[in-house]
Amino acid sequence: MEGKKQSFNLFKWLGKEKINRRLVMFTFMIVPLLLLFTFTYLPFAKMIQFSFYDMKYIGEREFVGLKNYIQVFTRDDCFRALRLSLYYIGASFIQLGLALYFASILSFKTRAGGVFKGFMFFPYLVCGIAVGFIFKFFYTRGFVLDTVLQWCGFDLENLPYWLKDTSINNVSIAATSIWRYMGQNMVLFAGAIMSVDSTLYEAADIDGVNGWQKFRYIIFPSIKTIIVLNMILSITGSLSAFEPPYVITGGNFGTGTYFVIMNKLAHESQKVGLASAMAIVLLIIIIIATVLQKIFFAYFFGEGDKEAIRTVRKREKALKAKQAVEVAGKEGR
Amino acid sequence: MRRKSLKKLFAVSMSAVMAFSMVACGSSGSGGSKKTSDEPLDVTMDQIKLGEDYTDIKADLKFLTHRTDIVDTDFEKYKEEFNKMYPNINITYEGITDYANDVTTRLSTGDWGDICMIPTTVDKDELGNYFQTFGKYDALSSSYDMLNNYRYGEDVYGIPSMANAQGIVYNKKVFEQAGITEVPKTPDEFIADLKLIKEKTDAIPMYTNFAADWTMSAWDAYISGSATGDPDFMNVGMLKGKNPFSDRGDGTGPYAVYNVLYEAVKQGLTEDDPTTTDWEGSKGMINQGKIGTMVLGSWAVIQMQQAGENADDIGYMPFPITVNGKQYATAGPDYCYGINVNSSNDNKIAAMCYIKYLVEQSDYAQAAGAISVVKGSELPEVLKDFNGVDLVVDNPAPEGEETLFGDVNNESELGLNVSGAIPKQIVEEATSGTKTMKEMSDEWNAAWTAAQESNGITPQ
Repeated sequence: MEGKKQSFNLFKWLGKEKINRRLVMFTFMIVPLLLLFTFTYLPFAKMIQFSFYDMKYIGEREFVGLKNYIQVFTRDDCFRALRLSLYYIGASFIQLGLALYFASILSFKTRAGGVFKGFMFFPYLVCGIAVGFIFKFFYTRGFVLDTVLQWCGFDLENLPYWLKDTSINNVSIAATSIWRYMGQNMVLFAGAIMSVDSTLYEAADIDGVNGWQKFRYIIFPSIKTIIVLNMILSITGSLSAFEPPYVITGGNFGTGTYFVIMNKLAHESQKVGLASAMAIVLLIIIIIATVLQKIFFAYFFGEGDKEAIRTVRKREKALKAKQAVEVAGKEGR
Repeated sequence: MRRKSLKKLFAVSMSAVMAFSMVACGSSGSGGSKKTSDEPLDVTMDQIKLGEDYTDIKADLKFLTHRTDIVDTDFEKYKEEFNKMYPNINITYEGITDYANDVTTRLSTGDWGDICMIPTTVDKDELGNYFQTFGKYDALSSSYDMLNNYRYGEDVYGIPSMANAQGIVYNKKVFEQAGITEVPKTPDEFIADLKLIKEKTDAIPMYTNFAADWTMSAWDAYISGSATGDPDFMNVGMLKGKNPFSDRGDGTGPYAVYNVLYEAVKQGLTEDDPTTTDWEGSKGMINQGKIGTMVLGSWAVIQMQQAGENADDIGYMPFPITVNGKQYATAGPDYCYGINVNSSNDNKIAAMCYIKYLVEQSDYAQAAGAISVVKGSELPEVLKDFNGVDLVVDNPAPEGEETLFGDVNNESELGLNVSGAIPKQIVEEATSGTKTMKEMSDEWNAAWTAAQESNGITPQ
């Protein structure tokens, strides 16, 4: 009997190299993938689901379709809150500028550079809630900031109430995030600057280059990628600012950012569906902002090793113009 | 070869088991579904004779509480006392700082412990899914007052830990210095007195405690009984009335309450900078006479008295509104105890015993200067200025409308008694002077009316 079937041997089958390798791959992958799924994608999918319901934390849910999304766009408080992000975006530019400045200085031989770096990085290690409390006291009438300003000759009468005055309180609060994140940005920049080939500086020195030129033509192009990354992080962070206004003013006196409003709707008015919809709308806005930023940078400064699209276009144009002139010249002859 | 593959198979199956157990963990925790292992419990709280029944019952109870300040002191004392009667019941406390929010989330897991203070976020028709009933209303109401908060139909799901009356904490010495001899009885008198305090003393006439947030929602408690004298106001006048926030013109109703706050802030009779107020510090300040008045429930009085050496200076007066020549004060239960419906029967009985002990025999309510809910107990010392003032307890909502007020309240986002959205807005607008009281009350009326309509109520 030639066609006698060999009985299926599980162990032998498992022992086959091909199967075995796949099994091992699968086994090692399944744990991290499951963790990722249960703690990241499942809650996110749930949130998307919630955004289509009229629901509270406890109690029945009712499917309402797109009603929540329509509300997000028609309510006046949601998008007005997004306007506050401009304060934080403004702050994040100042923060990046300062970080870049300090990073470039401290990357060259500076006395006690490590100590300064440490001091400036330190605020990042303080937890956001504690930072909030620190600044609540800092801005309290007649406390730290007012006292320091009085030493400088300011009169308490002329100083604003830093947290009550609606013309300044958002600036006060956004300033706390500069204090907190500047050091972290600086360390990222310093790390990138250190990876620049030092022979470039030597060559530049021989050519008699000054500090600004060194920054513009050596450092900046080398750390482009990390600058883009930091900017994207800062701007998305600005759009979703939460801790400082929540802890320092509780979102009162016109300091309620998008997230604070969202938190209020979800926890105080129990409109979980609406808050979920707000979260998803913000996610989409952040994605759009990130893509726009990427395009902007790719156009003006290039990405990684790639040249800026603008430069490439200019060159092509110049080339074409040159050719055209040449052609015209030939014809005219 | 064989051995090796066995090993491999073992590894594969182990990882699969691990993965599945994780998935299982994920799913068993979700959803507030019932999963009682025992038969439904038919013991009710009125049947238990404290110190006689179930004295040998064995149970480990977990107790979630908002009173983080006395978890290690008073609660330990109660536990000791209780263990003399019930030596085999072990109680573990968990104090939660952000109580209302945290517990709401934890309730939905079903596995949070045995006793908690029921958060206000649970709707009445959901009570049965989360909490064990203490018994029928008729049987329990012969021994306790104010059971309506967590009563659904005939069943009572929450027993109040204590009850508060709503009034104003004030410093008698400051009032004396300002030359005020009688406590004010109308909003105008009150504002006039605050002005006197500002002129004649160094004290802050009224401290809002704005930054603490929850202190602002305390203002909402006055709009019912204190401002109208009507126990049905919340469920009828407020819920079904047309434009309940409008000015009544006679110094009563919600408008009158909120207008006191508005005028006080507008005329500079409150603290300079509401954004940086300090709750803990304010207790000492009123004790030392640096603050004239604070608008808070009666539970606050003891804390103000204990915050310094001048306990005798602290007084408590009814909210200055007079309705047809008579003063009223809103009174109502504080947090109520609830028992987890998913606990085992032994734990449920043990929990009932402990709650009965706390309510009837411990000094929990008295220590807080609050009213005990046990029938016939005397008013606490701090409320002696309330002679001749009627305490008004809100009537329960009629059957079938138990959740209506909550629905309209949430829908309108005015957060009455929840978020303090209205008082906070008043302080902000009165400070910056952008909106008048009239404009704001029109806004609230509009939001309230829209919410009424979307819940099928035609305002009358």
